[in-house]
Amino acid sequence: MTRRSAFVAVCLLFVAALSSEVSADGLVNEDVKRTVDLSTHLAKITAEIVLSNHGQSSVQSFILAVDADLAPHMAYIGASVKGDEEEHGTLELQQTSIQGQRGEFYKVLLPSTLAAGAQLKVKTEMMFSHVLKPFPTQITQAERQLVVFQGNHYLYSPYPTRSQTTRVRLASKTVESYTKLGNPSKTDEIIEYGPFRDVAPFSEDALKIHYENNTPFLTITSITRTIEVSHWGNIAVEETIDLRHTGAILKGPFSRYDYQRQSDSGISSVKSFKTILPASAQDVYYRDEIGNISTSHLQVLDDSVEVEVRPRFPLFGGWKTHYIIGYNLPSYEYLYTLGEQYALKMRLVDHVYDDQVIDYMTVKIILPEGAKNIHVDTPYKIDRMPNQLHYTYLDTFGRPVLVATKNNLVEQHIQDFVVHYTFNKILMLQEPLLVVGAFYILFFTTRGIAIWPAEVRMKVASITEQVLTLVNRRLGLYRHMDEVVNRYKQSRDTGALNSGRKTLEADHRTLTSEISSLQARLKTEGSDLAEKVGEIQKLDGQVKELVCRSCSEAERLVGGKVKKETYIESEKSLTSRRQELISRIDSLLDAL
Amino acid sequence: MEKSILLNSPAMFFFLFFVFFCRSNLCVCLCPQVYPGLMVTAGLIHYILNLLHVTVHIRDVCVFLAPVFSGLTAISTFLLTRELWNQGAGLLAACFIAIVPGYISRSVAGSFDNEGIAIFALQFTYYLWVKSVKTGSVFWTIGCCLSYFYMVSAWGGYVFIINLIPLHVFALLLMQRYSRRVYIAYSTFYIVGLILSMQVPFVGFQPIRTSEHMAAAGVFALLQAYAFLQYLKDRLTRQEFQTLFFLGISLAACIVFLTVIYLTYTGRAHKLQPVCVFLLSRLHSYAKIHIPIIASVSEHQPTTWVSFFFDLHILVCTFPAGLWFCIKNINDERVFVSLYAISAVYFAGVMVRLMLTLTPVVCMLSAVAFSSVFEHYMGDDTKREKPPEKAEEGLGPNIKSIVTMLMLMLLMMFAVHCTWVTSNAYSSPSVVLASYNHDGTRNILDDFREAYYWLRQNTDEHARVMSWWDYGYQIAGMANRTTLVDNNTWNNSHIALVGKAMSSNESAAYEIMRSLDVDYVLIIFGGVIGYSGDDINKFLWMVRIAEGEHPKDIRESDYFTPQGEFRVDKAGSPTLLNCLMYKMSYYRFGEIYNEADRRTPPGFDRTRNAEIGNKDIKFKHLEEAFTSEHWLVRIYKVKKLENREALDHKLRSVVSRQKYTSKKVSVFPLRRDGFSCSLSFMMLSTTYSSDPHTHTCVK
Repeated sequence: MTRRSAFVAVCLLFVAALSSEVSADGLVNEDVKRTVDLSTHLAKITAEIVLSNHGQSSVQSFILAVDADLAPHMAYIGASVKGDEEEHGTLELQQTSIQGQRGEFYKVLLPSTLAAGAQLKVKTEMMFSHVLKPFPTQITQAERQLVVFQGNHYLYSPYPTRSQTTRVRLASKTVESYTKLGNPSKTDEIIEYGPFRDVAPFSEDALKIHYENNTPFLTITSITRTIEVSHWGNIAVEETIDLRHTGAILKGPFSRYDYQRQSDSGISSVKSFKTILPASAQDVYYRDEIGNISTSHLQVLDDSVEVEVRPRFPLFGGWKTHYIIGYNLPSYEYLYTLGEQYALKMRLVDHVYDDQVIDYMTVKIILPEGAKNIHVDTPYKIDRMPNQLHYTYLDTFGRPVLVATKNNLVEQHIQDFVVHYTFNKILMLQEPLLVVGAFYILFFTTRGIAIWPAEVRMKVASITEQVLTLVNRRLGLYRHMDEVVNRYKQSRDTGALNSGRKTLEADHRTLTSEISSLQARLKTEGSDLAEKVGEIQKLDGQVKELVCRSCSEAERLVGGKVKKETYIESEKSLTSRRQELISRIDSLLDAL
Repeated sequence: MEKSILLNSPAMFFFLFFVFFCRSNLCVCLCPQVYPGLMVTAGLIHYILNLLHVTVHIRDVCVFLAPVFSGLTAISTFLLTRELWNQGAGLLAACFIAIVPGYISRSVAGSFDNEGIAIFALQFTYYLWVKSVKTGSVFWTIGCCLSYFYMVSAWGGYVFIINLIPLHVFALLLMQRYSRRVYIAYSTFYIVGLILSMQVPFVGFQPIRTSEHMAAAGVFALLQAYAFLQYLKDRLTRQEFQTLFFLGISLAACIVFLTVIYLTYTGRAHKLQPVCVFLLSRLHSYAKIHIPIIASVSEHQPTTWVSFFFDLHILVCTFPAGLWFCIKNINDERVFVSLYAISAVYFAGVMVRLMLTLTPVVCMLSAVAFSSVFEHYMGDDTKREKPPEKAEEGLGPNIKSIVTMLMLMLLMMFAVHCTWVTSNAYSSPSVVLASYNHDGTRNILDDFREAYYWLRQNTDEHARVMSWWDYGYQIAGMANRTTLVDNNTWNNSHIALVGKAMSSNESAAYEIMRSLDVDYVLIIFGGVIGYSGDDINKFLWMVRIAEGEHPKDIRESDYFTPQGEFRVDKAGSPTLLNCLMYKMSYYRFGEIYNEADRRTPPGFDRTRNAEIGNKDIKFKHLEEAFTSEHWLVRIYKVKKLENREALDHKLRSVVSRQKYTSKKVSVFPLRRDGFSCSLSFMMLSTTYSSDPHTHTCVK
């Protein structure tokens, strides 16, 4: 690589040295038609040059020169061959220099060698930004904007020119003054200079035009274009734009009344402009730091999406604004793939408004996490910054970000770039798996925490279930005892009563002890049900006592120690008390 | 509007740093009233999320903070109600608080407000307090203290907690419900809570200095004494105890008396501090009469019955029933909720804004009421062992179904009302107005943001904007410019000075504006589109506030017609027709024709339905800098002094110059962006000191 470039450089040096010699006596501009278009805030200088080779040998290139005063403002330079049968073939340019001469020089490589004596029609195009200077620099709202352009009457060229004309196109009829070299003719918005005959190489003659120009002097002072590629099918584009009106600065008050009532008030101000987005743009948003800007309209056309961007306030001279516009694009239109190889082909800079000027542009291309072997092809030279890493949702090691900057761009720079990279498709699963894993861990841990009280609850439930059955069995014992007592009253069999009482005592003791053990277990589980069970136990003790008393009463009745009436009386009170106690136990059991 | 300060976290940390810096180095009056809780919460959430590479913008965190916290509020309301009553009531309470308009107003997405998180902190603190009184465990009490600390850091309403909890303890003592649990809970809470609350920079030493915290200290002392007496009672005989008791009582009375004398002597007892003013305005209408600023805020007006119904709907009727249920079956925690309800009702009656503290308790008690009714009428009969009562025997099922249906219908209507209020009253941003055309298309009037954004983009970074304080936060947030007074300005004289400038004539106002270093003046004018909340309608408050501080220069009566009317037309008082606010509002308005109604004369004010009285308005010291599309916001630029004529005498001496600059600095109120402000002071001072040199050049 390096060896090859070194070789090219050597060749270039050689050719440059050669060509300057050749051009000195070889090439001649036979006929030049220059057009200086000053109808917008840009200066577009195009020239149709008939180039003829009067030298001895054939040439492969010629030199294109840019005036020294305009050169720093030059945004774009291009040349094409204007053949008869062929369409314009764009030519390759290389910057070079000529010793002892001011200005910038570009060597244009011709597609085929120009033989001695042959002629070639070439069209050159140059765009200059910020060369129309408002004069006066400050105007009031009612005034019109006047600007001054300073240039060259002649084509600045290292070759002698046989014949040339210069046509200047203005923005309006109103012209304050213009230089009158060779008695130019002026019709409406056009001033025609020339024809000039036999102009020497490198000749300069100041052209100065002071005229009215109310076209929007909008300048994008900085734009950051972020392109975020997702392999899930979406490309998100976001442009952060700083806009300034670089015309004559507004002097004095801004009157809304005049602006609303008089159509020519603030004529040079900018109310709105159109931005053309790609046809597949979706979810367009237009906002700034304080939220959505409600003054915009979106129109979906067949081949594009037009946004009528209206800043929050009209832009007068010197005023600026800042906004963000963004949209989504389907990736199938811009992303090409072959196995693991991917290529992203998109516009490096897109349309913001007609005849746009961008002072400073930053492009950020965010590739998917895991993209490797990144290689960028740009249509023109841009300054690459070191790559960055970008972290967004669920990123672990960051997405590679390509950053590039460039100064002074115009419409001609709306061209495609291509980014090649490789990407392992398995990596697409990384983020879903990450989410699945995170949820898995989340559920696992919460289950671990949640299971604990649930288990306790289940344990408690089973214990209470046991308590319920035991208590019911115990109550059953009393009913059984009642039957025994009744039978005793009829049969008067003391033995049966005593054995019945004995079994009751034994069963009751075992059941009660079991319930107490369950109560203790409930207590260890920290359940407040243990208290209720304790209460049941207490009540049950009373019931037991009553049962025993009714038993002994029956004994006494049978033994004839009490009268029947008193027995019935006491038996009644005992049963009612028992009933009451049992109902209380039941209600407690219900509550369990 | 704090959200814009927070747009990125370095700014926030700088801001917090500034708060600390401010506290330690500058005088107290310069310190803004900022509770760090809200910002710290938002910043922390943002930080944690970003740590996990969930790259949410801090703005989105701020926007969704309130809804998230309203969810937490519902949970803590559930917990609290469950502690008070039962689980069913808890669920109902959570449902109520989730949709009740009184709380929705603070919990809609985008309301990045202290109150939003404070209500959660309030409810959660109360829950933990009830829990700690119930259990008497230090664990719950410490939790309560931490929650209280969070509340202190979030909202000035923490005063409500620090008064309600002692009140609860006091009531328990009175009701002979003193127990060891209460003693443990309150002693721990008071000490730990006090120390924690003093860690919050804005609060500082207030808990031991200001009167609104004294109740807590008093109850603490009382509780200690009570516990001590209880202890003695166990140890001493009855006779000994009585003597000791009387001795103690007389000693305590002596000490209280001496303390009061001391405090009165040193003048601390009635030391009015900003928060104290706030509290006073709650407690009685003192502030309403004496401080027009507080009275001028619509949030500080007494609550009307309508707004009770609007904010709470059916709950306002049912919550007394819940309160009655609670009082009927009283226990320790129900004493608390009763006190909470009663005090909150009182506060809400004093000030609309405090409706917010009432809402949760109303939800809880209404839930108790509904839950008891449902329990009674919807309970499963088959489960009950008891035979049905005689009275219910025949009508039972019918009555049950009717009552249940009625209750359900009430709840349904409540839900409908909540939805309606939420969609109509609390869902539209106040900064963007919308109007509807005849064909139903919507017109968006985005004038506020238009003008604020113009300020942000096209004025000097250090430009100072004078406007009425209502727009202070908006200007700070959206326009990113320094304002003289904002929504948080407690210094009455600053506001009065701005009011004075607005209500003086142009040349007098120019003097004030020059002394305040004003670059731009911003006013809101609704006369073109009929927006009623504009500055002319607020103007009388400006006059009143200015009159309060400058009674010699501004008199409210001058702005009325002899008949005592406030009119902007030809019959209006000449003072009004020539004051700065009037001139700025109606500058060039006299030429405008109403498009909708051609019959009206030019200069017809649609808000006040009058043709303006002064159509020939000229400015000498101001010029129109910007007017928004519908004239809603008008911004004027204050012209710099014109070049003075050459001076005959010598240049001013250095000493006098310094005097001048220092005067500047002291007069200028330091605001939001204090650091840049002080930088601009320095720059200003240099410009002033270089002024004489320019004069020499001119000469």
